[in-house]
This record gives sequence, structure tokens and C-alpha cells, in this order.
Amino acid sequence: MQPEELARSIGTLESTAAEGALLADDVARDRTKATFARVHARELGETVDHEAEKLNDAEAEPKGGVAPAKVRAIELADRISAELGRIQIAPDSETEGRAAEESLNRLSERAGQLAEGL
Amino acid sequence: MKAVLSVALGVIAAIGGFVDIGDLVFNAQAGSSVGTPALWAVPVGVLGIMIFAEMSGRIVAVSNKPNFVLVKERYGRNLSTFTLVASLVLTVLTLGAELGGLGFALNYFFDVSVNFFVLVALLAVAAAMYFLPFGGLERVFGYLGLALLVYLAASIKLDPDWGEIGRGFVPESHGAAVYWYFIVGLVAAALMPYEIYFYSSGAVEEGWDERDMKVNRANAFIGFGLGGLISVAILVASAQVLKPAGISAESVGTVALVSEVPYGETGLILAFIGILFAVGGATIDTAFSAAYNLAQHQGWKWGKRFRLLNEPRFTLSLVGFLLLGFAIAQTGVDPISLTEYAVIFSIPVLPLTYLPILLVGNDASVMGKHVNGPVNRVLGWGYFGLICLLAVAAPVLFLWTNGGG
Repeated sequence: MQPEELARSIGTLESTAAEGALLADDVARDRTKATFARVHARELGETVDHEAEKLNDAEAEPKGGVAPAKVRAIELADRISAELGRIQIAPDSETEGRAAEESLNRLSERAGQLAEGL
Repeated sequence: MKAVLSVALGVIAAIGGFVDIGDLVFNAQAGSSVGTPALWAVPVGVLGIMIFAEMSGRIVAVSNKPNFVLVKERYGRNLSTFTLVASLVLTVLTLGAELGGLGFALNYFFDVSVNFFVLVALLAVAAAMYFLPFGGLERVFGYLGLALLVYLAASIKLDPDWGEIGRGFVPESHGAAVYWYFIVGLVAAALMPYEIYFYSSGAVEEGWDERDMKVNRANAFIGFGLGGLISVAILVASAQVLKPAGISAESVGTVALVSEVPYGETGLILAFIGILFAVGGATIDTAFSAAYNLAQHQGWKWGKRFRLLNEPRFTLSLVGFLLLGFAIAQTGVDPISLTEYAVIFSIPVLPLTYLPILLVGNDASVMGKHVNGPVNRVLGWGYFGLICLLAVAAPVLFLWTNGGG
């Protein structure tokens, strides 16, 4: 796996987490339809899971390559997916929405930092 | 009063046919990826479709010949057959994308399954096509498609930097391939071939003659202008909501989320009503366009103005294209990716679609006193040159930028 491929993958994670945070913010402020929030959170979760599978299957040089960053990206994907799952499970809970929004914003920032470090 | 009503019908018809899934997605992606510097591509594309739609409507009013009859007359058998096959492939791919988009949009509200709602959409669209008269189709899908104006309200409420928006309408030199990919895509999304096929065949359906020149101009300029305004609004609102957060528009849900941010649940519902009816209208346009083209190429009797059951070949082809689109949507292919492919790979077909209109519009022996004037000739050839340039650039940019990614 080349750094630019990994950066593209991490970019998808960053974007998906940011979108999840936007959605979660609307859940937290009771400004959305619960069904929409559930379906869209599921879609975003599937995007992240797919990206994690691609990252897992990609071969990276263990030494001096992008392998450590790849492992961190998979961990990030796992956590983003879990946060999106909170919206999916409780799309009408303002408390869950607020918690998911804060976590997803943090995870999006971390993904951005990881991509910058490549 | 009748003329005013006819113009109003043209305005709403253009919303249904112009703002399709390709326009929605490309505008949101351009806004989230490039931002307002891509704005100038929208009026470039919209002016192009206005010029050629007005020309094709005028040709119908004078000669009663829709676009594919011109293709057949001007190209001869081999090239017209090639144009037919290429346009049918792209139109049916677009039809599949529109049906898939409807399935996704409905599933956001009822959460059953996308494939189930693709079937529901197919049945609803087929019923509308069968039971509603041609004008009724325009009215139902056009009026309700106007709900997309929520993006105009959203882009204003989000308090944009108006200076930046103004600068976005001025073309700038840019080194990034992704920027040019979106510029080309935005122009192409406005010039999708099925729009012109539907417009000219629709003019025949409505029985236009030389008395309808003003209605034609109003339809082309006000109607497509309004469609262009909605495109600009989606791009601006996406640039304000998605770009600062680093979000890339990858689904219909993301496009709807853009209007939820300023208006909450009301914005979301209005966006989905607009998306459903604009994309539903585009589904009808693409299905009819494919059947019109085939019938006109083969010399069959065609048209919604006659009873569909009295035209078995036209009606069977219409049903066949709908089922093909349904089959494509049922494969689970992502309608957003499908529409991106359809938009980009429609560009090489654009010169073949638009050249016959230009040749006939310039031909005084056919058009008489309604032949293209100097302004129309210059603009027509200018746009034809641009379309040829895009035809070469689009596939290259698509591969170079990995589809704008």
C-alpha cells in the first residue's frame, strides 16, 4: 500500500466521521427524522466498515512503510463505526446524539492528523 | 393568460427534467470538494442547454421534426444507428441511476429496503406515465419538484460570503485536475443528451407550431434558468455546509442533510419532496427519451398524445426500457457512481446529439424566416466547439482524478 492510497482511505474516514457528527448534532438537537438518522447512520457505518476491510486486506511494508499508520486507521474506522452505531440504535435519543457528535468530531480530527503525518 | 400558463408549464417541466440525480450529486460534490470557485461552470452549461433547447423547439415548431428524426436524416444509416445505440446505453444507465436514487430517497423515510422501494418507484412512475396526460406529468412532477427551492433559501440563510460567490462566477486558471473534473462534469450534467431528446419530442407531443415561438423561448430560457438557479443554490449550500467540515457528498442522504442544517426537519422533508419529484420527473423523461429515440429512428408511430395501447411497438419499448433500468437499479449498483459514469461518458455522445440541431437550425431552406440569426450561429458553433473539447477532456480527467476522488 502506497502512502497516497492510505491517505485517500483515511480521507474517507475523516469525511464520514465529520458527516456522522453533523447528523448526530441534528439528533442531539431533535432537528431530524429518526428514520432518516437511522438509515443514513447505517449507510455511513457501511462506508467505514468497507474502508476498514480494504485497509485490512491491503499489504503494507512492515518496516519503514505505512503499516503502523494502516493499523491506526483500522482502529479509527472501528471506533467511528461504533459511534455511528449509537445513532443507528437510538436515532431519537438526544443524549446519545450529543455523545456521538462529540466522539465523531474528535475521531474526524484524529483521522485528519493521521493523514497529515503520512 | 393561456401564454402565461404555457410558460408556467414550461418552467415546471424544466425543473422535472433538468435537476436530475446527476445534477443533484455533481453540484453537491462540486460544492463540497471545490467550493464556490466551480460556480461559473453552471451558467456555462445552462446557457448551452438553453441555446440548443430553444433551437430544437423552434425546429419542431417549423418542421414538426424532433431531434432523432434530424439525426437520422443528417447522418445516414450507420452513424445514426451508432448514435442511437450510444444514446440508448447512456439514457438507460441514467434511467437505472434515477430509479436507484428514488429507491434510496424513499428508504430514508420508511427503512424497508432500497430494492423494495426501487420496485415501488418503478410501479409509481409506470402508473403516472400510463394514467396522467403529458401536461399532467409535467405539472405533478414539476410543481412538487419546486420544493428544491429550499436549497436557494438554505444558501441565503447560511449567510454566505457574497463577494466570494460573485468571484465564483468568474472563470479562473487552475492547476488541479480535480477542479477541472468538476468543471467538465457540471457543464456535462447540464447538457445531458436525454434532456434535448425529451424537449424536442415533448414539443411535438404538445403540438407546437410557429405560433408557439414565444412559449418555446420562455420554456428554454426561464425554465432551464430556474433549473440552473437550483443547481447554483445546491452548490453554494454544499460549499457552506460540507466543505468547511471536510465532508464529501457521496450519497443522496448527504445532499438532503445540506438543507437540514439550516432548517431542521422541515428542510429535510422539503429536500426529499423536491428530490423525489425532480428525480421522478427525470425518470419519466429518460424512459420516454429512450422510447422516443428508438421509435423515431425506426419510423414507428410514437407519442403519449395517442393512446399508448394503440402503439404497441412504442409502448413495448417504453416498458422494456423501464424494466432494463429497474434491472440495473436492482443489481445494487451505487446510483451515485452510476450517474457519475453516465454524466462523464455521455460527453463523447454530445457532439453527435447537438450537431444535427445546429445544422438544421442554420438551414434557411428548412427554417425559412426562423433560421438561426448571427448570434445563435456564433453561440451554437461556439458551444459545439466546447462540447467537442469536453468530449476529449472528460474521459481523460475521469481516469486521471480517479473519478474526482
